[in-house]
Amino acid sequence: MANLSSFNLRDKGAEIWAGWSRPVRTIFVLSMIVLVGLLPFAATWGPTSFLNTPITSFQNVLVYPVGMFIMMALGLNIVVGKSGLLDLGYVAFFAIGAYTQGILSTLYGWNTWEIMPFGIGFAMIAGVILGLPALRLRGDYLAIITLGFGEIVRIVAINISVTGGPNGIPGIPNPPTFFGLHFDLMHPETYFWLVFAMILLVVWMIRRFTVRRPGRAWEAIRQDEDVAALMGVNTLVYKLWSFVIGAAVGGAAGVLYASKVMVISPDMFKFDVSILILACVVFGGIGNIWGVILGAGILAYLPERIRFISEARQLVFGAVLILMMNLRPDGLLPRKKREKITEKRSM
Amino acid sequence: MNFSVVTSQFWSLALQGLALGLIYALVSLGYTMVYGVLRLINFANSEVFMFGTFATLYIEVHFLGYDIGAPSLHGFKLVYTLAFALLASMLACAILAIIVELVAYRRLRARGANRLASLISAIGVSIFLLEGMRMITISRPMTTPRLLDKWSFGEFHGANFRIDTVLTIVAPIIIFVVLDQFVTRSRLGKSIRAVSMSEENSKLMGININRVITLTFCIGGLTTGAAAFLYTTVYENTIFNVGFNMGIAAFTAAVLGGIGNLRGAFFGGIALGMLEQFASAMLGSQWKAVTVFAVLVVVLLFKPNGLFGEAVQQTRT
Amino acid sequence: MNKKIVSGLAIAAAATLALGVVATSPASAAAKKSVTLAFQGPLTGGDAQLGQDQIPGAIYAIALYNAKNPAVKVELIKADSQCDGTVAANIAPGVAANKAVIGVIGTSCSGEARNSFPAYRAAGLTMIAPSASAVSLTDPKAPDRGFPIFHRVVAHDGFQAPALARYAAKGVTNPKYYVIDDMTTYGGPLAKGTLPTAKKLGTVVGTDSVAKGTADYTSVASKVKASGANVVIYGGYTTDAAKLFKALRDGGYTGILASGDGTNTSDFPGLAGKAAEGVRLTAADVPFDSILTKAQLAEFTKITGIKVPGLYSTTAFNATNIFLDCISQGKLTRSAIQLCVNSGTFKGVGGDVIKFNRYGDIIGGAPVGGYLVKDGVINYDAVA
Repeated sequence: MANLSSFNLRDKGAEIWAGWSRPVRTIFVLSMIVLVGLLPFAATWGPTSFLNTPITSFQNVLVYPVGMFIMMALGLNIVVGKSGLLDLGYVAFFAIGAYTQGILSTLYGWNTWEIMPFGIGFAMIAGVILGLPALRLRGDYLAIITLGFGEIVRIVAINISVTGGPNGIPGIPNPPTFFGLHFDLMHPETYFWLVFAMILLVVWMIRRFTVRRPGRAWEAIRQDEDVAALMGVNTLVYKLWSFVIGAAVGGAAGVLYASKVMVISPDMFKFDVSILILACVVFGGIGNIWGVILGAGILAYLPERIRFISEARQLVFGAVLILMMNLRPDGLLPRKKREKITEKRSM
Repeated sequence: MNFSVVTSQFWSLALQGLALGLIYALVSLGYTMVYGVLRLINFANSEVFMFGTFATLYIEVHFLGYDIGAPSLHGFKLVYTLAFALLASMLACAILAIIVELVAYRRLRARGANRLASLISAIGVSIFLLEGMRMITISRPMTTPRLLDKWSFGEFHGANFRIDTVLTIVAPIIIFVVLDQFVTRSRLGKSIRAVSMSEENSKLMGININRVITLTFCIGGLTTGAAAFLYTTVYENTIFNVGFNMGIAAFTAAVLGGIGNLRGAFFGGIALGMLEQFASAMLGSQWKAVTVFAVLVVVLLFKPNGLFGEAVQQTRT
Repeated sequence: MNKKIVSGLAIAAAATLALGVVATSPASAAAKKSVTLAFQGPLTGGDAQLGQDQIPGAIYAIALYNAKNPAVKVELIKADSQCDGTVAANIAPGVAANKAVIGVIGTSCSGEARNSFPAYRAAGLTMIAPSASAVSLTDPKAPDRGFPIFHRVVAHDGFQAPALARYAAKGVTNPKYYVIDDMTTYGGPLAKGTLPTAKKLGTVVGTDSVAKGTADYTSVASKVKASGANVVIYGGYTTDAAKLFKALRDGGYTGILASGDGTNTSDFPGLAGKAAEGVRLTAADVPFDSILTKAQLAEFTKITGIKVPGLYSTTAFNATNIFLDCISQGKLTRSAIQLCVNSGTFKGVGGDVIKFNRYGDIIGGAPVGGYLVKDGVINYDAVA
């Protein structure tokens, strides 16, 4: 307990990882993927049945909120964690993806796979529209603008007719069968695999970015924007990129989500979701993919697991946030020590 | 677009916007003061406001025993009752704000934690307070008796100078003048400004940083408490989630005026109140929030530090 | 805070959770013969009041039933949906997977109902809603209808909205309507639904939508006054209705104020104070305390801890009683319950007859009553 705050599991893990040879790594990764893939059956298998969630359905909880939150937290982490921009309106991109799926599928009869690129595309366009003016500002001004954008998307959805107004859009079809896998209400596990595959894709993408030029640029911007600009990094372009990529992930999550719940309405895309996703990122360990995944997993799963305390569970959730932040301010799995710098206070 | 409403109701809208805006301004101090010294968004301030409305209600209904049907008060008794409720609400909010600082910020600051960590712990406090009050009140809205009879001083081109409207305009102005003098003149006020300019240098000058920060939260709590009292007196009701909309509005006002800046909060609040009233009248209330944010974006594009961020430098680096 | 104290707290918190885990597992081992009903509605979050007002009706009905020492006891589980379709989409499969559950009292909100249908339909689990009143839920042609499992003991908005427009303008020659809604799934459609009738009876001089939870209604009041309206209809819930009506009266508006069942709660006269006087309300729900005798009300308070029953506690009570009727007839499986609810004839607490049509609405339509606030009390006035 003494070293609780200074112990960095992430560094420990990286050390072990570095000591492994390539085949060992491959085997480890593959077995992890298989293990996670078996997760939907954990609730019914004796030794892990303690994971089961009371009242709600465990397999559905794995898809939403757990899987979706992880995906969105990863997307937000590109914005908040990698390039250090505080985005309080991430739910907007999620909503845009979801409404794209809702409108295109019910009006034009497209299926989810066809809509996916459009959902991602619209979210990215929205990211550019919001990012171009907003990213010229710094820190907390960005926070309020993004917060406002999140609210605007929701209010516009309430007030125009193509989104169904406050009633939203009912009757959104599930994705069609894919390689013999059924995506419908009776098969939440296939949905989980789909979300899992997308999470893996996002993780792979982020890792590629991180070791290449954009990753280094983001890192420089996060540490000191002025110095980065001085060294020839086009800060606006790279900030915009991180914003747009984050938006794309949110949009993809939204498309999937709408096809899962089948009915969407504006009250699903409230400010609380943005805050919760941000909490996932910080709780797990801002900037570190594995930390973010762990944090999002826990924060999404916890309120469902403690449903037996019924109405007090939100209270407990708040208390857990306070306690954990006080105990481990850098999150459960903080980023590498060398990346941890004291950020410029004027941000 | 409905311009006829604006021309016929101009003075009425302006007066109401001013009154509403000054309540926003008082709450936004809870954000702006803290931001000035800590560079952090005090997310729990919305729940401090919520707490203040319930404190006012508790004092009036349970402590002083005025039931819902109680007749309006007059003369000295009215002044005494309202003053007592005002002080109680301010005190309750100040104490809560100080506790919030201890629980959500102090330990994290001592360890030099990431600023987002404080943001999340403040959100945790906010959720805790919100849900706590929800459980205590079983989610029911509550109401206070109409202690202040809403008589009018008179009309001016349709603008009705009602006593509660006048009160919500006069009281915040007095509070702002006092606070402004305190921050610019007094020793403690100067130490707040010193810390907001440079924490390290202030430390070197022998200023007790923790005390200054506690003081800042205390002042933010006091003004938020005053706003909560005014809100409860004018609108005569409250509910556990009353802080949410108020918090967003006040935060917006703080940014509009230039966050971290006392006078910015004052004028930002007024600007927001006016904007909301006129936008509702012209475009319909459903587009109010959209208009507000659109204006905010435009303002920030041309004045990146808010309306008053540049002009008044003494409370900001 | 001291580091040790914090660590201690963390351990305590972890222990509480662990204990909770232990505490939940043996609960299902009860050997006694019993069946379970689930209540689905918002119990936490921003809309919690709606569910918190209803669930006492269900608790009361079940307590009365169990007190008679029947052969089969009934338990109630609370499925807190937060009035959120997202949450409901998870809860519904979970409730459906719980084999003990044979009926669902719910849902409270129309939005969450639509997200719950697929799971309940697949599980053959019957729903009786105390308050989900969106027209499409029982519309044979709507893609989001709840056929065949969904039923409701409340009049849908298609009945209520025209009734509200009629009742609001009763006795007014040449009514000039101003219609305001709160931008929610409930208030929006209800307010818009009054427009056709309003246009027939008089003129609509203005409409506005003000988000629920707005603090300040003075600008709306100014607009209403400027428009020269003499009938204001509000589609929304109690808290905001009280704020709006107060602002209107304080702003010098002297015409008629009217609102629907979202406002028709015993809290309303207190919240709106003097502005409540003369307000016309409609409701598909009869206030529970107006039906109960003094002794029954005392018993209700004893069982639920609630002094004044809230909105839709009557319908929640009725919905629960329909299930209890079927259970006491020995219908203990999901399919038997479904058959019983679909074909049976039941009695509401007010003596009204309840029989469902094919799509889940009460045959003949649940009556829409007109209520008038007088001296701080909501009194039944006439059929609206």
